[in-house]
Amino acid sequence: MPKHDFDFNNLRPDATVVRSLEPLVIEKPRAPIHVHTYGGETPFFRGLSQGKLLATKCVNKKCVPAGKEGHIFLPPRVYCPDCMEKTEWIDITELARRTARVHTHITVEHPGAFNRVPIPCELISVEIEGVSTIIMSQLKGAKAQIGMPIQPVFETEHPTFTILDLAWVPRKE
Amino acid sequence: MIRFQPGNLATPKQMRPVYIVAAGQSDFKKRYPEKKTEELAVEAFRMMALENNLKVDGIQELKGYIHSAYYGHFADHFGDQLLGEAVIHDRLGLDPLGNVGIKTGGATGGSTLWIASNMVASGYSNCVLAMGWERMDEVDTWTGNHYISTAADKDFETELGHIYTGYYALMAQRYWKVFGKGSPAFRRTMSKIAVKNRRHAYSNPFAQTHGKITVEDVEKSPIVADPLRFYDACLMSVGVSCVLLCSEELAYKLSDHPMRIFVTAGSHTLRTADRRPMDIPLLPHEEASPEIRKYYASLKGASSGERYPGFTGFLAARMAAYYAYRMCGINDPVEDLDLVELHDAFTISDIQTYEDIGLRPYGQGPDYIESGDAYLTVPDDGSFPKKLVGKRGRLPSNLSGGLLGCMHAVGATGIMQVAEIFWQLQNRWKYFHARKEMWERFGKTMPKDIENLQVPNARRGLAISHAGVGSHVTCSILMHPDAVPAK
Repeated sequence: MPKHDFDFNNLRPDATVVRSLEPLVIEKPRAPIHVHTYGGETPFFRGLSQGKLLATKCVNKKCVPAGKEGHIFLPPRVYCPDCMEKTEWIDITELARRTARVHTHITVEHPGAFNRVPIPCELISVEIEGVSTIIMSQLKGAKAQIGMPIQPVFETEHPTFTILDLAWVPRKE
Repeated sequence: MIRFQPGNLATPKQMRPVYIVAAGQSDFKKRYPEKKTEELAVEAFRMMALENNLKVDGIQELKGYIHSAYYGHFADHFGDQLLGEAVIHDRLGLDPLGNVGIKTGGATGGSTLWIASNMVASGYSNCVLAMGWERMDEVDTWTGNHYISTAADKDFETELGHIYTGYYALMAQRYWKVFGKGSPAFRRTMSKIAVKNRRHAYSNPFAQTHGKITVEDVEKSPIVADPLRFYDACLMSVGVSCVLLCSEELAYKLSDHPMRIFVTAGSHTLRTADRRPMDIPLLPHEEASPEIRKYYASLKGASSGERYPGFTGFLAARMAAYYAYRMCGINDPVEDLDLVELHDAFTISDIQTYEDIGLRPYGQGPDYIESGDAYLTVPDDGSFPKKLVGKRGRLPSNLSGGLLGCMHAVGATGIMQVAEIFWQLQNRWKYFHARKEMWERFGKTMPKDIENLQVPNARRGLAISHAGVGSHVTCSILMHPDAVPAK
């Protein structure tokens, strides 16, 4: 009796899963775990778990234009991208509460593997007065519209220590 | 940076002219289990070596000229193989020549040409291979979505859905609402782009798609991320594309019809979040136009609320064109070019690109389609006024079918575009697209109603290779040697 006429009745538990014989196509499982550090950006992610929205600011008065114009960076940057001096952390929770608006939005209905955001998800970009950048985040409890006033909410009970600990809800004007 | 100093904006130079003498590619499919990437690479190389009328006696003689090699491949993790360039280089039998792997997301093909062409321009090599490929069919779509989403910022973006299309769609939405005003007319322009590019792919044996669609098909297709529907979004493909670049002396030794090639590059922040407001860098024809300058000044400020580049302009594309037009002496792209291949990852981003490269001023992109300029011939399909039907467009785009119709094997795309333009400039579109044998080679039948997509007397073409939300964009310009503007 010829060996390997592909009788599948004798599979061992660790056998390769074959998808096709011609051409020969097999499965190769992979499941690595990454050990990831937030390094100098740690204050931002720790801040979310404490109900705080932290940004950074260039304080080098000679820096053009970030330092001179007082650019605030959200997401925060450890070093100023214009002059490369270390930035300073500032708490913009109240500023966000008072002035944040939806800059643009999209409804995500087809996520990818490892997604933890409940689907459908209102993905938004957030404008805050005085902040030069427009952070990406999620809106909860409403369908987004460009210009909608919003305020931040934080996952302080069971933080994931990811950007998902930050979300936004409509603000009454 | 948002303020420039003169060093940043210097016009790039080639120390000596660079020519493209040959191109080759595989067919492009969503899944290609019958062949490994290495086999497709050899097929692309064979086409390049044997079907471009090179004055050599076979592959082995041609290989004797190659000095270094440049390989573009976007996503190692899909193939579970690092140093894929080493594998390909080995299968082509080009070891131990120097080679390097290049990756810049969707701009990988263009970036590969950027490096490869400048290695000839510098004098380091007289003859180089530039090859790009992609294979994304080793994982299911769900995992594929995650992998691609890692091209966004892993801490501030990827976790938000693990789906890259979402991050792109945020930009598209803003453009759609602010410049498109969410109007049905704008939606219709988007649909026409998908219809046009699929129609071109219908006449391309290399293409992954082979059916024509209508604007109704596009507007009824399932929503991917509102307002983007299934037919608004590019393909995902397996395949390989390559070109051979040479110095002038060698180019004319190998070919009777080599073409000049110039490649430039721009970039922008990875996170769209980080794009701070700035002045619009002006292209030569915009600088020369007081109306456009006045119009751009009016775009700033409270009334429109719009910032530049914000979420609606791809600064990387604008910069690549800024350098390229000055490098090549292009005064007005619509007047000075004969055809373009643009990176139509989405119908909306195609429109945004028209503006970034100056085919129309910012905010007026749709007019490039609605005026008929983007068509080889304005079609009689009910979507154009009678007086435009049959008119020759001033600057046809994506005659290959582009990313919407032909392929997006990410590392290969920027090279595919240049291969198609090269064959157009040589007046050889028909050899590669309209002979039965090429269709049969790929197991297909040439359609009876195949269109002739050769641009008559094509002398200059431009390709835009673009990464994701615009972190990297390159601009490749090909010119017939007699059509290079005098300095």
